[in-house]
Amino acid sequence: MTSTRMIHLGRKERPKRGSLLLLIPGVASVVLLGILPLFIVARNSFAVADNYGGIVGGFTLEHYTKLIDPVYTKTLLFSLGLGLLNTVVCIVVGYLTSYYIVSRPEGRQGLLLLLVIIPFWTDFLVRTFAWITILGSGGPIAGVLGIFGLSGFSMIPSNVAVVLGLLYAFLPTAIFPIYASMRSIDPSLKEAATDLGCGWWGVHRRVILPLSRPGILGAALLTFIPTMGVFVIPVLLGGGKDPLVGNLIVTLYTEFRNQPMGAAVSMVLLVLMVLSMGLIGLLMRRTSTKKGA
Amino acid sequence: MDRIVNGIARGVFVFLYVPIAAVIIYSFNAAGTSTRFEGFTLQWYADLFQDGALMQTLRTSAVVAVLTATVATVIGIMFALGMSRYRGAGKGGLLALIALPLIVPEIVLGVALLSVFSAVKVPLGITTLVLGHLIVSLPLATLVLMSSAAMLDPSLPEAATDLGCTPWQTFTRVYLPLLRPAVVAAWLLSFTTSFSNIVMSTFLSGVGSTTLPLKIYSSLKTGLTPSINALGALLILLTLVIVLAVGVTQMRRILVDSRS
Repeated sequence: MTSTRMIHLGRKERPKRGSLLLLIPGVASVVLLGILPLFIVARNSFAVADNYGGIVGGFTLEHYTKLIDPVYTKTLLFSLGLGLLNTVVCIVVGYLTSYYIVSRPEGRQGLLLLLVIIPFWTDFLVRTFAWITILGSGGPIAGVLGIFGLSGFSMIPSNVAVVLGLLYAFLPTAIFPIYASMRSIDPSLKEAATDLGCGWWGVHRRVILPLSRPGILGAALLTFIPTMGVFVIPVLLGGGKDPLVGNLIVTLYTEFRNQPMGAAVSMVLLVLMVLSMGLIGLLMRRTSTKKGA
Repeated sequence: MDRIVNGIARGVFVFLYVPIAAVIIYSFNAAGTSTRFEGFTLQWYADLFQDGALMQTLRTSAVVAVLTATVATVIGIMFALGMSRYRGAGKGGLLALIALPLIVPEIVLGVALLSVFSAVKVPLGITTLVLGHLIVSLPLATLVLMSSAAMLDPSLPEAATDLGCTPWQTFTRVYLPLLRPAVVAAWLLSFTTSFSNIVMSTFLSGVGSTTLPLKIYSSLKTGLTPSINALGALLILLTLVIVLAVGVTQMRRILVDSRS
């Protein structure tokens, strides 16, 4: 590091502008296709609409006050509940799986990780409709039950199927960050805790769990908000009876062509994201100050 | 207690592969969607290739994914090289900026882009799809390339410059060969991200630009057909090929090491 810096100090003629120019396309893409559009959504959520959902202009809080309607609050609460449930289940299962992977020998860890990567990289729709095959009326579970005379079994559509589908979709996402932070824990800490009389619970509660907290919080962030934005799983596995925020946004934009209302719901999701990031940032900082003390 | 955890973890690996196995097995089942396996057939695969509408959406998806991956990789290479040489202030801010689309819910980014396109009256089609897919692929591609560019020995390009290489020659003769694995990984990751994208495509596809995932989704709403299982099996095969092409080490670096 020091040597490269010295080289750079010695080469005064090296043009800095060249490297700055290289950054322009990337920055411009994010600004034009990300940040600017987000401001327009924020603006649209306060705008007056014509009868076709087109944006007329002006300023109104009407779309936000409409959110108090039970149609919206029911969906919002259901999404929050399902998001929390999925986050907790993903973290518990992800924690146990990560601990299992970390306790294998190094070479084996690579293989197990590959086994998590393949489903993670498999098309989201394939991962979802696979459950229709398994849980549906023609599926293997129905077939086994049929042998015992229980015909007509199907778990599609049901909220149980939605929960399974969500867990399947987000479990790998939760495993990667937890595994990443567990891998950096010095194994001698676990041995020391065991020597000092900690049992399985003690080792986890006092050593591994606190040290893998950054990974757990990361996993929570990567699971909670994305779960609420999902719209494919509730339709295919839940029959669309209990929509999530994601379904609401899609319906408002594509079916009802109600842009400002859709924008207001999107803003709710965005605000929730900012809040949960703030909360997780706060929890992260508490971890680091504890470490410092 | 460790034994119970091991049992649960093994159960998790079974859980991860049961759906994949089910899709593959049922794609060969002569009895269609019913449970009993009434013999092996390739009929559902043959049906797929005769479905003209489906093939059309496959072409659209392929065109969009190739364009998206290429643009994302080129912009990503530029950004990664720029960042590796940039020593000024605000480096952390620039990094946060390029990673921003990863944190914002994709569905919100989707409606945001739709709002822009409908405000400036851009007709929805291949172009809007590429732009939407670009914004979700670019951070992935860039982060992969940046982690590789950061590991490069800075004395190599300097040596090339001292030996009289122009910046372009330094790029093609030093940077590009050294970054090749990361470039391949970035391109393939962007390709898959775009090819399997459903959220962005829901908002940004036009009348003639239905993508493969949109087509699958709409046909699934009316019911699962055996040929969809065949299509799923082919997509699983594609995933395998891509994961192995990117390489386990590279994948591990992207998904695990960048998070620690």
